[in-house]
Amino acid sequence: MSANHITVKLDRVYKSFGDFTAVKELSLTVRAGRVFGLLGPNGAGKTTTIRMMVNITAPDSGSIELFGRKIDSALQNRIGYLPEERGLYRRMKVVDQLRFFAELKNVRGKVFEKRIDEWLARVKLSEWKNKRSMELSKGMQQKIQFVTAVLHDPELLILDEPFSGLDPINAELLKEIVLDLKRSGKTIIFSTHQMEVAEKICDDICLINRAEKVLEGSLRELKSSFGRNAVAVRCEGGDGVLDDPSLVSKVVRHADETQALLAHGANAQTLLRRLIDSGATIGKFEMVEPSLNDIFITKVTEHQ
Amino acid sequence: MRKFLAVVKREYVQRVRAKMFIVSTILLPVVMSLFGLVPAIILNIDAGGPLRVAVIDQTGKMYEPLESAFATEESEEAARQPSPEPGAADQTRRGVSRMGSRSFQLTEVKTDGRSAQEVKAELDQQLRTKQLDGYLILPPDFLSTGQAEFFNNNPGDMLSRGILTSGLTRALREQRLVEANVGPETRRDLFRRVELQAVKIGATGEERDSGGSFILVFGVGFIMYLAILMYGQVVLGAVIEEKETRIAEILFSSVKPFTLMMGKLVGVSLVALTQLCIWGAAFAAFAFYGVSMMMSRGMPASIPSIPFSHYIYFGLFFLLGYFIYATIYALVGSMVTTAQEGGQLAMPIILILIVSFYLFLPVSRSPDSAFSFWVSMLPFSAPVAMLVRIVTQTPPFWQIALSLVIGFSTVLLIMWFASRVYRVGMLMYGKRASLPEAWRWVRQA
Repeated sequence: MSANHITVKLDRVYKSFGDFTAVKELSLTVRAGRVFGLLGPNGAGKTTTIRMMVNITAPDSGSIELFGRKIDSALQNRIGYLPEERGLYRRMKVVDQLRFFAELKNVRGKVFEKRIDEWLARVKLSEWKNKRSMELSKGMQQKIQFVTAVLHDPELLILDEPFSGLDPINAELLKEIVLDLKRSGKTIIFSTHQMEVAEKICDDICLINRAEKVLEGSLRELKSSFGRNAVAVRCEGGDGVLDDPSLVSKVVRHADETQALLAHGANAQTLLRRLIDSGATIGKFEMVEPSLNDIFITKVTEHQ
Repeated sequence: MRKFLAVVKREYVQRVRAKMFIVSTILLPVVMSLFGLVPAIILNIDAGGPLRVAVIDQTGKMYEPLESAFATEESEEAARQPSPEPGAADQTRRGVSRMGSRSFQLTEVKTDGRSAQEVKAELDQQLRTKQLDGYLILPPDFLSTGQAEFFNNNPGDMLSRGILTSGLTRALREQRLVEANVGPETRRDLFRRVELQAVKIGATGEERDSGGSFILVFGVGFIMYLAILMYGQVVLGAVIEEKETRIAEILFSSVKPFTLMMGKLVGVSLVALTQLCIWGAAFAAFAFYGVSMMMSRGMPASIPSIPFSHYIYFGLFFLLGYFIYATIYALVGSMVTTAQEGGQLAMPIILILIVSFYLFLPVSRSPDSAFSFWVSMLPFSAPVAMLVRIVTQTPPFWQIALSLVIGFSTVLLIMWFASRVYRVGMLMYGKRASLPEAWRWVRQA
């Protein structure tokens, strides 16, 4: 893999605040044109890691490279960052804010004015262009904040919990935009603790817990490495079989189906045979991959 | 640099556009001129005609000098006031003679052999029927004792009593001198005021009047004080703004904290300067109007002559003084999370400001002392102290330059310090920094 395919590279990065270690010996690679999920529970060190990537804080040791160069403030112009702590100038008009944030990225001019209109149309806020941001609802403000992060057409977009607090329609709208940006070749780093969202849009993930990396890799590979050891079953009767600990280690009963995690050493064929033998009527029997949520919980619990 | 300008522009445009700014900019000159005009108008209201005062002169010599004492005063006043119409000149003379006070219409009451009691009873009657406003009894021994009695309906009229007293005093003094055989010329000479002219010996030997410059130093100090009082809090608020609105982190992904802080400081300062310039222009217009009015009335009024270089120094040291204190406000803003907290922490700043302002007294007394030297090098007291030294005994140029360099370096240093505190403070939301913490943050950031 050549260097220009790598957008971000962290090498044994260490950061502490006083006695508290926020990030410990973290190495990771973000490949160009992919959606990278930086996942972990609250307080794991996600935000500190991101802040080092955008040059807000410097690591105590270790190195950070962006676009193949050591991080510096000039590189900041090529990044779009939507932090978790975000706001707008309350008394400023939407269009003035957008202009201001873009000027801080050294972007201005006629083409840019057109881009403002395009983006406002895209997030369906065109008619709010000349309103003060205090007149906007919280969800609208969040969309404007998102626009400030992408307006200067950055090569790398870093989003920290971008969908939190959005209604499903707007969350879906932003998700579509993120995927569009990915298709146009942008690299996106996406930080969240909402695994269902990460599962839908991430290509690669890095799981960190308590300042340390627990897992890194492509979502696809990680899932398959966890093996197809889960079965989705819909059947009538045969409850005793699913509760047999020699076959099934964990059962999660949903409204319409049951998820069974196979016990160590057991295999799905045996389970199916036992179910048939017990006289159960089977509506569905399917090998499934573990959800990212399952992986997350398993790994984080193991790590503790 | 472009990012810096973007921050300055935003700060400036947003604030100048605000309604508060526009209203206060216009309102102040209006209010000030009202303060200047209204008292003058009120004092000019002539409540009733001249005060009718009867005089019982038991000395037999005092009425004449007393009448002339009032007459000269009135004619002097009248000479100063341009009469609106030529025909009204007489009116003016007898009418309003002094602002806010009523003129006097004196009439002598001869006893004509009647007893003092009889005359008094008659005058009391006139007082009651309002034919008279008061009467004055000068006893026979008035020339030696200087004691007289004034009977009137309105003992609360302090102003009229004061005028009466001073008129009587003058008449008495005049009469005593007459009796001591002092000639009229000598008498006039005796009362001429001393004219003390402060003359400065400059380095080149030229003589200049530094009085005007001195007033200007005071003025510059005062405006500085005013600007800090008004805009210190604004700087503080501006620094906190991004913390309160949680924009700081977005900004720091684009711009260095130092650039942001400097941009905000400069932006707010330009707003302050804009407002001060508008007010200054309004004030200058008033002053010009006033001076021309005074000159047209024949009063000596001139704009003090001040060397051109002094104006430059005034400007530079005003800016220095403003920025030194404004940056302290910025530093306080970087440490706190809300404007209210900042207000409390900012109190000591005002104290330092006042103390350093009063240092101008010892400095003006001995501008060449070692004390004055150090005080004019210390950033916090330099602006006023150095200006005082410049207008009294101009120090060598290197001292002025050094003072400016030290001052402006301090401004940059404080801003650098503040930006580091700010950055770390931002990373730990909702926490107010104690001083030792702030220091640790500075080293950590």
